[in-house]
Amino acid sequence: MLPRRFNLHRPDRIEDAVALLAEHGDDASPYAGGTELLIAMKARVLSYAHIVDLKGIAALRGVSARSDGGLIIGALTTHHELANHSLVLERLPAYALLSANVANIRVRAAGTLGGNLCFAEPHADPPAMLCALNAELVLAGPGGERRMLLAEFILGELSTARATGEVLVRIEVPGLPAGTRAGYRAFGHLERPAVGVAAVALPLGKGFDWRLRVGSICGRPTALAGLEKAMRGLPEADALAVLAEGAEQAAAAVEADDDIRGSAEYKRHLVGVLARRAARAALGMEALAA
Amino acid sequence: MDAARHLHNTGEIRGDYLEKVTGQAQFASDVVIPGMLHGRVLRSPLPHARIRSIDVSAALAMPGVVAVLTGADLAELSAGRNSHWGLYLRDRPLVAIDRVRYVGDPVAAVAALDEFTAEEALDAILVDYDPLPHVTDAREAMAPDAPLLHEKMDKIQNFYFRGGTNPVEGTNIFQHYQYAHGDVEAAFSRAHRVFEDSFRFPMVVHAAMEPHVVIADWREDSITLWSGAQSPTTVQKALSLLFGIDMAKIRVITPYVGGGFGGKSSVKIDPLVTALSWKAKRPVRVCLSVSESMLTCRRLSADIELKTAVDAGGKLLGKSVRVVMNGGAYADTGPAVAVKAAIRAIGPYHIPNLKLESYAVYTNTVPGAAFRSIGGPPAVWATESQMDVIADALQIDPVDFRLRNMLDKGGLVKPDLRPIDVDMPGMLRRGLAAMDEAGGNSRASGVAVAASDPGIHALGSALVRMKIDCSVLILTNTIELGQGAHGVLRAVASRVLGQPLARIKVATPDTDLAPYDWVTGASRSTVIMGLAVEEACAEISREVRQLAAELYGGEAAAYVLADGGVAGPNGFTSLLDLMVRANGIDSGEFVGLGRITPRYRNGDFSRMPLFWETAVGVGETEIDVETGEVRLTRYVSVADVGRVMNRKSAEGQDEGAAIQALGHTLYEELVYEDGQPLNASMIDYHVPAIDEAPREFHTVLIESGDGPGPGGARGMGEGAILPMAPVISNSLARQYGVRVRELPLTPERVWRAIREVQRDARRGK
Repeated sequence: MLPRRFNLHRPDRIEDAVALLAEHGDDASPYAGGTELLIAMKARVLSYAHIVDLKGIAALRGVSARSDGGLIIGALTTHHELANHSLVLERLPAYALLSANVANIRVRAAGTLGGNLCFAEPHADPPAMLCALNAELVLAGPGGERRMLLAEFILGELSTARATGEVLVRIEVPGLPAGTRAGYRAFGHLERPAVGVAAVALPLGKGFDWRLRVGSICGRPTALAGLEKAMRGLPEADALAVLAEGAEQAAAAVEADDDIRGSAEYKRHLVGVLARRAARAALGMEALAA
Repeated sequence: MDAARHLHNTGEIRGDYLEKVTGQAQFASDVVIPGMLHGRVLRSPLPHARIRSIDVSAALAMPGVVAVLTGADLAELSAGRNSHWGLYLRDRPLVAIDRVRYVGDPVAAVAALDEFTAEEALDAILVDYDPLPHVTDAREAMAPDAPLLHEKMDKIQNFYFRGGTNPVEGTNIFQHYQYAHGDVEAAFSRAHRVFEDSFRFPMVVHAAMEPHVVIADWREDSITLWSGAQSPTTVQKALSLLFGIDMAKIRVITPYVGGGFGGKSSVKIDPLVTALSWKAKRPVRVCLSVSESMLTCRRLSADIELKTAVDAGGKLLGKSVRVVMNGGAYADTGPAVAVKAAIRAIGPYHIPNLKLESYAVYTNTVPGAAFRSIGGPPAVWATESQMDVIADALQIDPVDFRLRNMLDKGGLVKPDLRPIDVDMPGMLRRGLAAMDEAGGNSRASGVAVAASDPGIHALGSALVRMKIDCSVLILTNTIELGQGAHGVLRAVASRVLGQPLARIKVATPDTDLAPYDWVTGASRSTVIMGLAVEEACAEISREVRQLAAELYGGEAAAYVLADGGVAGPNGFTSLLDLMVRANGIDSGEFVGLGRITPRYRNGDFSRMPLFWETAVGVGETEIDVETGEVRLTRYVSVADVGRVMNRKSAEGQDEGAAIQALGHTLYEELVYEDGQPLNASMIDYHVPAIDEAPREFHTVLIESGDGPGPGGARGMGEGAILPMAPVISNSLARQYGVRVRELPLTPERVWRAIREVQRDARRGK
């Protein structure tokens, strides 16, 4: 099918994009890589009278270093760029690998991180890992810029805290203490992941402060809080033993539905499997990429 | 034989490759006709409903909209003729008249100046539906109280396939096939063991790279079509009946087609697009989206029940096959598919007592249609899975068990069919050896074999024209859809006419110019059109040599065609010189006609099948026990193709068929819920990609040289789709003790089966 007719705007400054989006309100949508938006428009699931193409705004592109050792990622940076950027490879190799495995090369080459987060299609790889990394977002709106945690930005399936007229400008990943480890595992037999689990381990005493976040399975990334607490500070082997023991039980509490990617029961089972693997990958006990 | 091999298998790059990789090749979807409008189709959102009314006034009022076609137009269009069409049953209206029968059923069509306007106009059409009870499952559709899709069964005989169908009036059953030889009940009662197993095969789509596309130009007394059609001549015939125009005035042109796999066989969207052109009085192009192609046709899904009796020595005593196929909303070629599904479940085995029964049933789903080896994949999946189940129970090696029962060359699969013309035990042994040579372990691999009887009609002709410069033009209605048929025809002409391949061209198929051919499908083109071209070229060769003998002396037999002319006792003469000497000017051409009919070779070509299409698959798998993910790691595919005409094309066909089968084995299924297809888009329907192909794939092509085609060739391209599902399933059973009886083998299904095995092990079973 074909999309409904729309007016295409191509601003080259963030302020102009914000003004256009504010002017047209719900009749307008920002357009980044288009890998989600255009498909939905062609299927006529979505239609907008005004499409604001952000690709001409240079200020939305590129990756740079944060002074605390973290990263600043322009919202229009593609997955492919993230997978191959020297700063990302150096500071967040696990995230670079995650980007290298997003969907397929066409999606990676066109699809942007900002578009991915703002569209909030749950069956995606970036959100779980970025939540585990405490990523923050900077949004520009008619009233100026505001900053919020990604974990608070994603409200549910296809739903975010982005207000009408706002543009996601950049994603900031705070610097991590030396010795921090990260791993990610996702699985699904269709085009998109059914379940993904990110494990980030920050050094703490003889062990780690663990952050285990489950993605794709439901509307927003979910923390396996009980497990995180039980593994906290334990030596590696003990933490993994606690994880192996408690993964299935922790997964049982995760929201899930039966759908074409599998039954809720099976997907919760995957949460346990992938949590163990992501943690082992973070600890270097198996390859960073599956 | 070596000379023949050398001449056939030239290894020359196919003519279409360069055109395709440089973007020069013209596909039906590239064609632009002056004055052409763009059409879009409004489809039913409901699985089953009466249409109370359709209001097109708002759509018609939109600037740029030229015409809107609805069922209300058909009385005028058909003017006393039938407005319904079909291949076995006249069950499908040109466009919905008063009722829709599946989500996606065409309700109306708009022709506009551009595609966007046409698409927008669809939104402006108001349809008032009165929902009816629906049924999407074949078994439920067979129940006495099931909603009825078609009140009458309007049968057609000998239209596309020989014979007709055997529907059950007053039910949804549009085909009921039965066959028996021997006494299967007696065999069951005296057997050592009887095995009863059921298997399920999913609804899968063809997923050709190019969706369905047709440009139709209706005129008062003629129709011209540019269509991505596998059977232009059947389209021509169907349109003649629907529109009351002589066949000779209906022209179907078929540029390159971007894949068909049966999904463009017989007739598909051609009548609808032609009707829209009739309404608009202008040429109209309709190019479906991939999602719409998924709502146009698909493979028939199947439930297969097998009951098989064996003696204590592992000999098959008897077998009963019962297949229930979900045929969708319109019968299309489903009746033939159901028959083949039953026959292809026999396998290359000696079965003294046999009973076959199959049903094809209407449901409120996408119409079922032909798909690469009709009925074959479900049948072989069931039979070859059960062969391993039986071998396991009898504690016989599954290969030994097969060999104990396998027919030798000349053996009868079914007495009314041509004896099997391939050494199946030899093929199986070659497959096992190839696996071991590749570093695998054939003793631990999954193994499956298949023998299918291609439903070929030996009806096709070719015209060949040789110019004075010895360049050659082949006129055929065999289409090129990526399989390499035109390359094969060029190779045949090159050999017979002694001219280099570079000087031989196949014209774009066009029913105004090229003679009749039945269909490009059923693995028939190499044999039927190959022979037709061979015959046509032989006629030219005879004529040239006779003329040379007359003009230059000696016997015609002493002359041979050579590059640029003819060589004889007195040396070489160019064709140009020969023509000048014969006709006085350097002009003219030689024309040859080759005709293949069932009467060919003293009627031997009327005997079915023309040849057996056989396959052996040997595969190794890996399983992720925790997720249930299955990966095929190494695969050997064997086929006796008689003669390899072009190795790249032949291997490509073999690999392509096997990897297509990986789709229905591991990933693909069109899922229905509440009458709605849940995943009719490439987002949620996964076709295997290169990452999922095995790391090693070995194609073994046996050239026994005894097929009916040119140089002893058999057809190929549909065999390798058959063994994949049972190979993987048998491999899982052999390595992990897991037996899943429903495809696709999704990770969840495999995981559940593993969990079951683990529980049984814990209980000490």
